[in-house]
Amino acid sequence: MMKEEIANVKATALKDIAGADNMKRLEEVRVSTLGKKGTLTRVQQGMRDVPASEKPAVGALLNEARNTISAALDERMRELQRRLDEQSVAGIDLTLPAATLPGGGLHPISLVREEAVRILRRMGFCLADGPEIEDEWHCFDALNTPEDHPARNEKDTFYFDSGKLLRTQTSTVQARVMESQAPPVRIICPGSAFRRDAIDATHLSAFNQIEGLYVDREVSVCDLKGTLEYFLKALFGDETAVRFRPHFFPFTEPSFEIDVQLQAAGQAPRWIEIAGCGMVNPAVFENIDKKTGKQLYTGCTGFAFGIGLERLAMIRWGIRDIRLLIENDVRFLAQFQ
Amino acid sequence: MNISKNWLDSYIDLSDLSTQEIADMLTFAGIEVEGLQERGVNTDLVVVAQVMQKTPVEGSDHLNVCMVDAGEGKLRQIVCGASNYKVGDKVPCALPGAILPGGWEIKEGKMMGQASCGMLCSASELGMPDKEHGLWILPQDYAIGTPVRQFTQTDTLFELEITPNRPDLLSHWGMARELAGISGRTLKQDPAPENADTVPAGDGIRLSAPEVCPLYTATRICGVKIAPSPEWLAQRLIAVGLRPINNVVDITNYCLFELGHPLHAFDAAKVQGPLNIRCAREGEQFTSLMDETYSLLPDDLVISDSTDNTLALAGVMGGKDSGVTDATTDIILESAWFLPSSVRRTSRRLGLGSDSSYRFERGASAWNVLRAAARAVQLILECCGGRAEPIAVAGQAPCLVSEQKAANATVLQQGSQAKVFCALQHVFLDWKELDVMTRGSVPHMEAARILKNLGLRESSAGEWDCPPWRLDLVRSCDLLEEIVRVYGISNIPSSCTSIYVPESRQDRAHDFRTELSRRLAGAGLCEVQTFKLIAEQSSNPSVAAFPYALPMKPLQEGDVIRVALPLSEDHSILRPSLSPGLLAVAARNLNQGAEVLRFFECGRIFRNTGGGKGKDIEAEVLGILIAGKLAPANWAQLKQPSAAPEHLLALLELAAPKASISLSPCKQNREAAALAADIHINGQNCGFFAKVAPAICRTLGIPTDCYYAELDLRKLQQIATAPFKVKDLPLYPGSGRDASIEAPASLHHADVLKAIESAKQKLLVSCHLKEVFRDSSGQKLSADRKAMTYSFLYRDSAKTLTATEVDAAHSSVLQAISRKLPDTKMR
Repeated sequence: MMKEEIANVKATALKDIAGADNMKRLEEVRVSTLGKKGTLTRVQQGMRDVPASEKPAVGALLNEARNTISAALDERMRELQRRLDEQSVAGIDLTLPAATLPGGGLHPISLVREEAVRILRRMGFCLADGPEIEDEWHCFDALNTPEDHPARNEKDTFYFDSGKLLRTQTSTVQARVMESQAPPVRIICPGSAFRRDAIDATHLSAFNQIEGLYVDREVSVCDLKGTLEYFLKALFGDETAVRFRPHFFPFTEPSFEIDVQLQAAGQAPRWIEIAGCGMVNPAVFENIDKKTGKQLYTGCTGFAFGIGLERLAMIRWGIRDIRLLIENDVRFLAQFQ
Repeated sequence: MNISKNWLDSYIDLSDLSTQEIADMLTFAGIEVEGLQERGVNTDLVVVAQVMQKTPVEGSDHLNVCMVDAGEGKLRQIVCGASNYKVGDKVPCALPGAILPGGWEIKEGKMMGQASCGMLCSASELGMPDKEHGLWILPQDYAIGTPVRQFTQTDTLFELEITPNRPDLLSHWGMARELAGISGRTLKQDPAPENADTVPAGDGIRLSAPEVCPLYTATRICGVKIAPSPEWLAQRLIAVGLRPINNVVDITNYCLFELGHPLHAFDAAKVQGPLNIRCAREGEQFTSLMDETYSLLPDDLVISDSTDNTLALAGVMGGKDSGVTDATTDIILESAWFLPSSVRRTSRRLGLGSDSSYRFERGASAWNVLRAAARAVQLILECCGGRAEPIAVAGQAPCLVSEQKAANATVLQQGSQAKVFCALQHVFLDWKELDVMTRGSVPHMEAARILKNLGLRESSAGEWDCPPWRLDLVRSCDLLEEIVRVYGISNIPSSCTSIYVPESRQDRAHDFRTELSRRLAGAGLCEVQTFKLIAEQSSNPSVAAFPYALPMKPLQEGDVIRVALPLSEDHSILRPSLSPGLLAVAARNLNQGAEVLRFFECGRIFRNTGGGKGKDIEAEVLGILIAGKLAPANWAQLKQPSAAPEHLLALLELAAPKASISLSPCKQNREAAALAADIHINGQNCGFFAKVAPAICRTLGIPTDCYYAELDLRKLQQIATAPFKVKDLPLYPGSGRDASIEAPASLHHADVLKAIESAKQKLLVSCHLKEVFRDSSGQKLSADRKAMTYSFLYRDSAKTLTATEVDAAHSSVLQAISRKLPDTKMR
């Protein structure tokens, strides 16, 4: 009797399990079979009445039925879950466009400045700065610019009624640093400078430079060359050819302009002027020592260099009109994100 | 300056060098080659042709159809736009396939429906100096069909940038001398005569301002015949871009471009009595040969005569009425030395420059005064005839050698009866300096050879006499520069020794600023860099203007720093805040259709501390502006929220993540702000927060609310980079409770927080605002009320709290709220 009942319950349960086509239905089968009031549970309660001699055999049969049903339930559940998982990704269109985050990014001038600063700091330069509203001494006199030099004119330089001016070059920081500390000096200064140039595709009246200065005992042209070659190769690539052309600046002697050889796609390589540099003119050291009344810089040698950041950005990214760098059009800026 | 290769060939043989090799040689001597022009016709496809017919093209006011005979056996039809020719004229004709200077290839084509099989050329189209306006009319004796190249000379023009320290290079002889010096070549014959026939000027010349003009010479030449210059002379002037005028004037110009020394010729008939070189009188009028009148100052030096007429502005330009004309028979030739700063001052103030002032203000060599005079006299006698008197010399060459050096200086002597003495600069050079500068990479013998080639002479061991034309060689570093320049920096090895210097305050500020910028960029803000000079007022929304300034500290009259002579009204004051720039950026981008306006800038602002009388201060600040949508709308999120104060606050928290940030409304109203609050970070006033005034938004066309914050970067850095230690993680779990408080709509969150704090509940770890509910319809909640839902977290650091303990703590907090805020009720 009991054996038959067990077989029936098992057969019905297995049939129901196979027929359950969703999780809810399967759970109902589980409850109606294995639950407290389930069919198998009820049959199990009949064990009391089974004679002792048959108990082991019926018990084994019951266990087997329970295990089989449980296994079938688990198997069916895995199958249904697998189907659900499959369905969960059905119809997802991976070709749809992205949702949009607000686009943020840094300004190209910040990007080139940061890159230049990173390379130079790796070479042991530390940062320095100075005021943009300067006096004539730091902007011109200290840097060996003669009294009647064309730049010292209110047509070329922004002056204030106070007699002060907007610095025309970041080289003013050379004087600022040297008058406030003893050598050795190894500094860079990224910053703004101003010239009274009408704004057009290649000129801004306010622009950014990075200035460098290294002063110590016995600094040589070799150091100037090696330092700037390393810097420019780091900036433009190891294979970049760098050349120095003699030039003239009042605050360095000898002075050089530096060209790097760059190649635009489909064009012959060209030498592009990128920076000015030179050995610090001894007159600058004399001016500093005269001002401070200390003889700290007499007998020192050093080199200085300056690079225009707008120019660097224009060369790097092929920017044709310098005004793009001050207009801050997001269609332009977004290209640097 | 323009240098003609043909002219240069007269002084130095460069025939073994290509144009490019010469250009490279100049480049590495420190002379920048700005341009290279090949002059003249280089092809057989430009031939002499005769115009046989000329018929106007219908419907055109200037085109003609020409039938020309180019010697091909039949006539060729060419459409031509020039007007200076007639039938029968011989002109250059470029045949199809000809490539003209500038790489311009001639092709057959049609103009106004008429076939045109070639081009009739002007001189400039063939790279020749243009003498007439229009076609180049060739002499009638030129045979038809002959290639024009047979009649033209080719030349190469170097456009050079001469650095201001090298006025000695501003002439063909000077350039040849330099090329010879750096390449070790020999110069041909010096064009200046070896001897100058001189007499003392006596009363004939009065030097009234000897400090500005210490040396003046005048040479009278009588019976000259004024005529056009000989062809060779005119050609040379045309080659360097000058227009020939007459033989005497041309010769003075020629000498300037040959030897580098400016000269001037007066018509002797217009000079009365002795010359007086004097300072101008205040307000004295001078009319230049260009017929412009200038008002002079005592700073200006003039040449005048006994009638006190101003004949010339010394070193700058001749006067209208004293110059050489076709009627001139006697001339007075001036060769003098003027103080560079004086000529520069006058030339700049009057905006009047000339080839002459260009050279004087850079420094002409006094040694050249007699050389140029003698050379010009020689050429004038040769080309214009006449009889020359000896050169009358007044004064003496200025001594540019320092007093202590002057005693030992070598002195050059020029002139026959009146001597001009020129003391040579001498410089001591210790080879040790060269060894330091080049790490011993330049052999001393080689260095000495370089100096000698450049015209220096070693007078005694280490003591070098500098040539009289090199005014720039004064100190040992000037000589080192010459050695390095000529030896070639490419021959000096590179090295990279480095020292370590301590990190600076600016290093740390830079690191902070860089990281902050990256963080803000990561949060979807666009970094901008706006102009530091802004407008006082502007009606253009894209122009940053002062009325939109929202600095931390309100501005007083006089705090604004104005440029004395602005370039434009849009850039006349230094920005006292970043807000004008950022608002202009927002307006500009709105114009371009941008929906999301989220910008920041790190930069300097400027103000005077004492209403214009105090110190000018510069501070680094961070400005953030948000307006428009939070993010661009897209298919996945159709609606994006508009900018609101809490969004800006979130960005401030990003800037100082561990600090507590609060806004406290300003007492003082600001015109540019609808709402204004100070930003307190950890209790310190660090910045300014504003809802930009709606009136400004309307002016700038910003359709949504616009929020702006400006933070002091130095203070922010101090707070954000303060050292900190981690907190231990709690050992026991906490329990959360929510509470919804119904309150008047005007109640501030800060008041609720204060009420919660008043409970002094030790178990309360944190509470945060979950939701603010309002119903403008009044259905779910009266319109003047709001429901604020807060989440509270309770925890004991020593044990797990029971539900009863949490409930008790929570109820103490709610009671405190009800007590402190009687107009609220718990929902």
